[in-house]
Parts: sequence; structure tokens; C-alpha cells
Amino acid sequence: MGNDKNIWELAEAYLDNKLAEQERAAVEERRLSDSVFAAEFQDCINMLNAMKGSGEHKQYKQALKEVHEQVVNVTDEELLPKTIRLWRNNWRTAAIAASIAILTSLTTFWFAQHNNKKIASQYSLLRRDLETYKRSQNKIIGDIKRQASTPELEARYTGTGFALTNDGYLVSSYHVIAGADSVYIQNKDGEYYKADMVAFNEATDVVILKVEHEGFTFNKQDIPYTIAKNKKKLGSRVFTLGFPQDEIVYNEGYISAKNGYGGDSTQYRLDIPAGPGQSGAPVADASGNIIGIITGKESESEGTTYAVASEAILELLSTLPKENSIRVPATNRLSRMSRENQIEKLEYYTCAIKVYKK
Amino acid sequence: MKLAAGDRKVMELVYSQHYRFVCKWIGKTGGNEEDAADVCQESMIVLYEKAKNGDFELTCKLSTYLFAIARNLWHKKLQSRPKGFVAMEDDEDLNIEGNYEDDIKAHHERELHYAQLDKALAQLGEPCSSLLKSFYFKNSSMQQLATDFGYTNADNAKTQKYKCLARLKKIFYNTQVK
Repeated sequence: MGNDKNIWELAEAYLDNKLAEQERAAVEERRLSDSVFAAEFQDCINMLNAMKGSGEHKQYKQALKEVHEQVVNVTDEELLPKTIRLWRNNWRTAAIAASIAILTSLTTFWFAQHNNKKIASQYSLLRRDLETYKRSQNKIIGDIKRQASTPELEARYTGTGFALTNDGYLVSSYHVIAGADSVYIQNKDGEYYKADMVAFNEATDVVILKVEHEGFTFNKQDIPYTIAKNKKKLGSRVFTLGFPQDEIVYNEGYISAKNGYGGDSTQYRLDIPAGPGQSGAPVADASGNIIGIITGKESESEGTTYAVASEAILELLSTLPKENSIRVPATNRLSRMSRENQIEKLEYYTCAIKVYKK
Repeated sequence: MKLAAGDRKVMELVYSQHYRFVCKWIGKTGGNEEDAADVCQESMIVLYEKAKNGDFELTCKLSTYLFAIARNLWHKKLQSRPKGFVAMEDDEDLNIEGNYEDDIKAHHERELHYAQLDKALAQLGEPCSSLLKSFYFKNSSMQQLATDFGYTNADNAKTQKYKCLARLKKIFYNTQVK
């Protein structure tokens, strides 16, 4: 217990810069040589930082609330326009003053900066650990399986998928990944990322996957399209981007029937060329919104393709438990663009899906 | 921190202008005053934490930065609202000034982190919870704490504080790993 107290005292003094040079050096040395101490010491420091950071955060929030009350009261009393104009005129000065204030704060609070970075790194460390843990677990499973079945053969399927959120949720066809041992996506830059299944509906042939890579995003900007809630009209012009080959392929066509194969009302029948590998590809309307997912084609006639209507995606999303709910993109930024530019944007959010099976 | 507490005037000035902007804009996109206040305060916090972090370089006017953050936060809020909300179609210029995705993400992570900390504090029980709160959140001195919590001297209170921290640490890290 005495030891316990000691390490906290040390950590606190260390953070507050109150250690004498020699003591500090001793701590640094011990951190290098004694890994148990180092880990515990780091935990203590993180804890103290979190407490301090949280305290400052709370105080700032409180201050903001008070300022808000003040500001609102001023507005409510309808202070004369003159005053407002005065503020407006001073805005630039205020901005400069604020920047100076921020600069000043940098020097005063370089410590705090120190703190927060460490919190962040602690976060990623923790996650990385979990990740390696998971990976090793997969490996174990893989090994057991390999012993049971024939090891050499490793069949491979490909499909297409598209982003549902910028941070890694994506949609594809369930049949693409059904029975897979592992699923990888390949993004626009050709990089591979492992994806896990989040939810699926075999009947409508929709699957939701999540790229598990830390910090993964499809693009710098948020998803630029929405998911249509209702079925589009017969004859609507549509286009699709998919991966029937290694390179992304564009096709366009129209809705040729409101119901799909065998009158399936969850599907569309499209007149659009599609090949193997395009399962899971997004079908977009003229303004770039997603109206469906390519799922299959008629084997006898070339050009007849079936797509699951996008309602099925929303339906699947609504079955997710609340804590895992996914925010669907709500804004469209493609509608006024030329088709070429729409495609250029969409390419970032469309990916090849590689499925590994034994 | 000047923007935080030391210089309330600066904060008031920045906030009032920012609030006016955001209020107008959010009104146009289907939000109410409460939304505007939320978004405004949240964006100020993003700025504050960012400034504290030290990697803040103002590449545009402060107001522009704040507004971009607010706009992004608001979009996120809209997206998370239940279905049936009418999607906006006319904001192609959203990307022009950048939307500072990273800042927002860091912000959300931080909020989560602090929320977890609060949870851990709640589990800690008394008097530890109050002791730590008054030291870290209210900036009470050790001497003050000793009298408030009935310890004979500041050193005793300090020892108690370290014990509490050790327990908090245990709870905090256990909940994080799940």
C-alpha cells in the first residue's frame, strides 16, 4: 500500500514538473529498465491526466452555459441594433484577440497538450491489443478448421460493396460472403482491409459489413449520397459501378420492371449489363442516390439484371440493436454534378470484396 | 486558459457572434434554438480542446472554423435522427472549407472517454468520489479537502486521495476493456 501511494505521488509530481532533475532522471531510467513499473506508472499518469482533463472540460462547459445565458438574455432584450453593429465591427479584432488568447494558452497549457495526446495513445494501444488478440483467435480457429478439412484448396470469390458510413460500414450481397472464412475489401487505392459481418438477411440477400481497421475511412468526406426509402418509378435511369474485373466498371440502364425475379417485390428488374463480381454493386439513380444493390441476372437473356431495392438495406438497419445503430447518410451532394463527376466521387465509396473460403 | 475562464469577455464575444450565425443557419435547415445552442457550445468545446492540444493552426478566420465545425456537428445530428426527416439537397459547398472530420472524431472520442470516467467515478462510492471530484473538478486545495472531509491534516487527505485514485484506476480500466 505504501508503495502504491508512492507511485501516485511520483506520477503527480512528475506531471506537475515538481521533480528535481535527479529524481526525474531516476524515474526515466526506471521506466526504461523496469517494464512493470513503467506500465503502472503510465497508467497512473493516464489516470491523472484523464481526471485533470475531465475537470477542465467540465469547467469550460459550465462557463459556456453561463455565457450562453448571458448572450441569449442580451438578444431577448433586443438590445439596440447599434450594440450589435458594434460587436460586428469588433468581430475581427475579437477574432485576433481570441487567436492571441489561444497562442497564450499554448504556452500555459503545453502540459495539457501532453496529457491529451497520451490519452489518445492509450486508447489506440488498448485497441491494438484487442486487435491482435482477435487476430490470434482467428488464427486458432483457422488452424482447427484446417486440420479438419482439406487444407490446400482455397477458393476465392469476389463481389462489390459500397459504403454506408464513411468510417467503415458497407453493404453488399449476402450470397457473396455466405460461408466465407474471411472477407477483405479492396478500396480505391488498392489497399486491402479485413471486414466483419455485422448483419444479414438471407431472404433479401443483403449483408452489412464493417471494416475493422482502426481509423479506416473510405474518403475524407462523408458519404455524398442517400439511400432511397421508396421504390423508384418504372423507366427511371440508373447506373452502377462494380468490379467484374480488377478495375472498376461503369454501366448504365433503366428500371425495366418494378418487381424482380419471379415477381419478387423486394427487387427491381433492370436493363443493365452486369457480370459476375458485380453482385453487391450499388445501383444509383440520376442524382446519385442509392436505389438498390445488384444481386443477380437472368442466365438466358443478356442484359437483364436483378437488384434488391434499397428499402431492404434500411429494413436490415432497423433490426440492429440500438447501441449498434448506424447513421444513414442524409445528404446528397451529387445531384447537380455531371455523371463523370458523380462517378469520380462514388468510386471512393465503392469497393471490391474478396472472399476467402476453403 | 484565456478563452476558457481567464478572459470571459473574449469568450462572450466569440460566442455571441458564433451563436447568431449558427442560429440563423440552423433555423433555415429545420432546427430550433435549442439545437443551435447545443451545436454552438459543442463547437466551442471542439475549439477549446483543440487549442489545448497545441496542434491548432488557424488557416482561416476563427469564425469560419467554428462555423464549419458547427455545420458538421449539425449534419451528424440530423443524420442520427429517426427516419422521416427530409434530407437537404442544397449544400454542395459543404466541402469547400473542409469539414474537419478529424477534429470532430477526436472530440467524440474524448467525450466518450470522459463519460466513461464519470461512470467509473459514480461506481467508486463515497467519500472517494466526492473527494476526487472536489480536487480535480472544483480545484479545491488539499487543505480545504482535509477540513471538508474531516481529515486531521492535508497529508492525510493526500494519502486518502492516492488510495482513491488507485481504486478509480482499477474500475476505470476494467470497464474500458469490458
